[in-house]
Amino acid sequence: MDALFTSLQRLLDMTAARWANITMFFSSLSTIGFADIYTLFVRWVFPLLAVGILVRCILPLLRNQGYNRIWGYLEVPGNIKIPIRHWENSLGRSKLSDIVVNLPFVSRNHAVLAYHRDYWTITDLGSKGGVSINGQKIESNGEVHAGDTISLGGAEFRLLAAEEVNDDFAATQGRTRFSRLGEGITPGKTLLLLILFQVLGAFQLYYTMPEETRLTILLTVLVLIAVECLYYIIAFHCSRKYLELELLAFFLCGLNLLVVAADVPNQLLKQLIAIIMGLVIFVILQLIIRDMERARKLKYILAAGALVLLAANLVFGEVRFGGRNWINLGLITFQPMEFVKVAFVLAGTATLDRLLTTRNITAFIAFAGTCIGALIIMRDLGTAVVFFGVFLVIAFMRSGDLRTIAYALSAAVLGALAAITLMPYVASRFEAWGNVWQFANTIGYQQTRTMIAAASGGLLGVGGGNGYLVNIPAADTDLVFGILCEEWGLIVALAAVLMVVFFSLFAFFLVRGCKSAFYAIAASGTATIYLIQTALNVFGSVDLLPLTGITLPFVSNGGSSMVASWALLAFIKAADSRSRAHTHESGRLI
Amino acid sequence: MKLLTRRALVIMVLALAVISGLLIFTVRYLGEASRWVQHSANRHLYTNGQLKAAGTIYDRNGEVLMQTVDGTVHYHENQAVRAALMHAVGDPNGNVVTGARVVWGKRLAGWNLLQGAYRFNQRLNHFSSDIKMTLDAELCAVAYNALNGRKGAVGVYNYKTGEILCMVSTPTFDPRHPPDIDKEPERYEGVYINRFLSAAYTPGSVFKLVTAAAAIDNLENIDSLVFQCSGRTVIDGEVVNCPTAHGKVGFEKALAKSCNVAFAQIALAVGADALQTYADKAGFNSCLEVNGIKTRVGQVDVKDARRPDLAWAGIGQYKNTANPLNFMVYMGAIANDGVRIEPKLIKDSLFLRLVRSAASKERVLSPETAMRLGSMMRNNVISSYGEGQYRGLELCAKSGTAEVGGNRMPHAWFAGYMEREDCPLAFVVVVENGGGGSRVAGPVAQKVLQAALNRYTGE
Repeated sequence: MDALFTSLQRLLDMTAARWANITMFFSSLSTIGFADIYTLFVRWVFPLLAVGILVRCILPLLRNQGYNRIWGYLEVPGNIKIPIRHWENSLGRSKLSDIVVNLPFVSRNHAVLAYHRDYWTITDLGSKGGVSINGQKIESNGEVHAGDTISLGGAEFRLLAAEEVNDDFAATQGRTRFSRLGEGITPGKTLLLLILFQVLGAFQLYYTMPEETRLTILLTVLVLIAVECLYYIIAFHCSRKYLELELLAFFLCGLNLLVVAADVPNQLLKQLIAIIMGLVIFVILQLIIRDMERARKLKYILAAGALVLLAANLVFGEVRFGGRNWINLGLITFQPMEFVKVAFVLAGTATLDRLLTTRNITAFIAFAGTCIGALIIMRDLGTAVVFFGVFLVIAFMRSGDLRTIAYALSAAVLGALAAITLMPYVASRFEAWGNVWQFANTIGYQQTRTMIAAASGGLLGVGGGNGYLVNIPAADTDLVFGILCEEWGLIVALAAVLMVVFFSLFAFFLVRGCKSAFYAIAASGTATIYLIQTALNVFGSVDLLPLTGITLPFVSNGGSSMVASWALLAFIKAADSRSRAHTHESGRLI
Repeated sequence: MKLLTRRALVIMVLALAVISGLLIFTVRYLGEASRWVQHSANRHLYTNGQLKAAGTIYDRNGEVLMQTVDGTVHYHENQAVRAALMHAVGDPNGNVVTGARVVWGKRLAGWNLLQGAYRFNQRLNHFSSDIKMTLDAELCAVAYNALNGRKGAVGVYNYKTGEILCMVSTPTFDPRHPPDIDKEPERYEGVYINRFLSAAYTPGSVFKLVTAAAAIDNLENIDSLVFQCSGRTVIDGEVVNCPTAHGKVGFEKALAKSCNVAFAQIALAVGADALQTYADKAGFNSCLEVNGIKTRVGQVDVKDARRPDLAWAGIGQYKNTANPLNFMVYMGAIANDGVRIEPKLIKDSLFLRLVRSAASKERVLSPETAMRLGSMMRNNVISSYGEGQYRGLELCAKSGTAEVGGNRMPHAWFAGYMEREDCPLAFVVVVENGGGGSRVAGPVAQKVLQAALNRYTGE
């Protein structure tokens, strides 16, 4: 009861405080500028919009889980048709096969049936009984066409083509328990909310920042909004995919500009260009990897390019903030490791037949070793942790072998211990960890300032441009969570982080319906990068983990980081092969 | 894809780990943000380590106890008021952990969870950051002067509303000119402790009010019992003695004369279980909170006591300890027909006054028992302490002279209440190593209560 009264009292106090503010406003009108009044009201709007956008984007994405299009049928005697739902399907006795054939003479993982636009291939996974097409025994793989008969060690199937492609199928079939929640939410309205947030935010900074930067801030945000609208209109008409993923990324980019505007307004233009470049690469990358053959080629090109970048970095690298991870090309400087991330994820991918035939991932291990080794030489240990995490996840996705992972992990722990003892710079980070208040003005400086700033913001924030954390070096990258908390409030900051986390959760939900293992692994790799970077950045800045100089995807200042975040998002987007429903509501632009 | 779906669970695990990390941070934030925000490096609140602005602390009559003007702290202009309220308000360095400056520091600094350190038009919102205490600065100064340099505590509260009017703890100092504590360790022993809230003393004879309550409810023949006091009695070979031989005494006279021999026998007759129950009812062994400030727990544990120990416990010795505030609240319960009103230091808002009235009451004694105890306490004053000294106060009281061992003087206790509808105050006075209870602590209580009566009824 007492707790209730206290909270009621607090509520009354707040109402009274609000009222007092208003009366104060009338009593001393002359000293109050419009800027003060503007902040007084809009700071209540930002959390509402952020949470609204988060919810409106999450629900439609969870609406119908998995992919429901059928690419063909396997007919068994008795006129039973088994639908083929993926581009790659494993056949076998194992419960984890996509098409379970529970006959004693069929191997656990017998074969993989893969779709290639106008024909199919079947790959023997080294089964005892062997695979034959139309009675002809095949060596490793063979082409199959509609009407052909496949025999798995004697079990016979006839491959049938899919019927007329029915787009509405996705909307009507396979709904999950989330489906009702997302109904009636249109992406157009969400975009309007998003634009409202960005406009209000831009004006908030317009009023609080110095005269000479004001116009730049407004113009930059205006261009971003124009780009968002343009992308939305084109994407809405040209693609039947869900657009919420991009909306979330746009929201985060907006926050990114607001943070940069408050901290280093002269970098706004660079950041805007990075966002547009990122968006373009996001679109191009999707177009390329839509075709599996092109994707496979891209994989090798990018891996080779990554090795070149690595070598260049080691030779020409510049030292900034303790790590030698910058390349200066005169006009532009960039962090090559951000782009290597994209190649790294792609390098780890494989199609299902490869995945099930060769457990051998030596090439990938070698590539990973090179990257991580180079990072350690560059003294960029945070990024090394990110790469190692992605390596572990991809290696597990490909091999399913827990024991190897455990070996790798224990080796990494030993390596980390060695790093702590050998590198004083790393050791001090670990010394501060958990005791930052004791070292508030030395090695715990950044973390304590972040927590002070976060606390000062409360749930609503003190208003964009009114914070003090921006004065701390590298706050716009490493302590960006603190800036969000201080200026825009805890609710907005948590919503932003949850959006990044949601990208990853979404990737997890997509795996089940992926056309190919290739996309599933790429999406998982991206998800891992987002998650590890988020954890290291956010938790590092508030002393839940040791502080590392890792960026928060999309939100931290940094051109390379922004472009790489967008490029990685393409992998998640590519894994999402569902299409929007043809219902009345979602068929409208807004 | 089933295979990969299963393996992709590792992503789910990672995502859940990040989400739980966010939860941990949020929980920490909710609990500790008020502490983080008060770091002197916070430029929202501080310039050069000094608060830019802070809420004002007022007493119940609107006297300014502490205010911050342009980054400088100002106290009350009267030296006695400043010293008397040093523990209530807090010292400049935040060493008094029960002081308002520490306990309500975030409120004074103008921070709350929702708004953060946001200030409309760069100005502190005094409506939500000011604090109005229930204390009466003048009355506290009277108590401070009455203690006259001796160590101890004085508390007065309204047993109908729960408002604490007077809370003084000595030794103290003038916060405007903090002394060098280390130079005079003896004089400033425990100076940062608010003895009224955070000390526990041996209660001595005032504890007989607990034993008496147990006796009234548990011994049917209590009124007919007569005790023979020869100045000492022997219980299982151990001696319990009185300062003088009281001769034949009944229950009421035994309390008035504070006869140890009689009360030792009463305690034995009541038994350990009943005595423990009544001690617990009186507020021993449990923590009382005053607007969120936890007070020190007074302890009584006689469950496994030997008979001589039980006898000593019944007269407030043995291992018994009492916290002044808790005991004052017990006095209030006796005065208020057995119902204890939760004490408070902050003036309630109008709204809270309406809803609180039902919530913070607790019956600890039956009305009959409370009435009986009250009449005996009234008799104490008339027959033992001298009504002449306390004329007009309608005083009901009990003194205590708590032996503390060694060569030190006993603690002087005086506790009770005024039986006046127009001035319903309960009080407690403790003078450390002061000597005889009614002789030493009584006059302190008299001065404070007389001042209160003057201020509130004009008499």
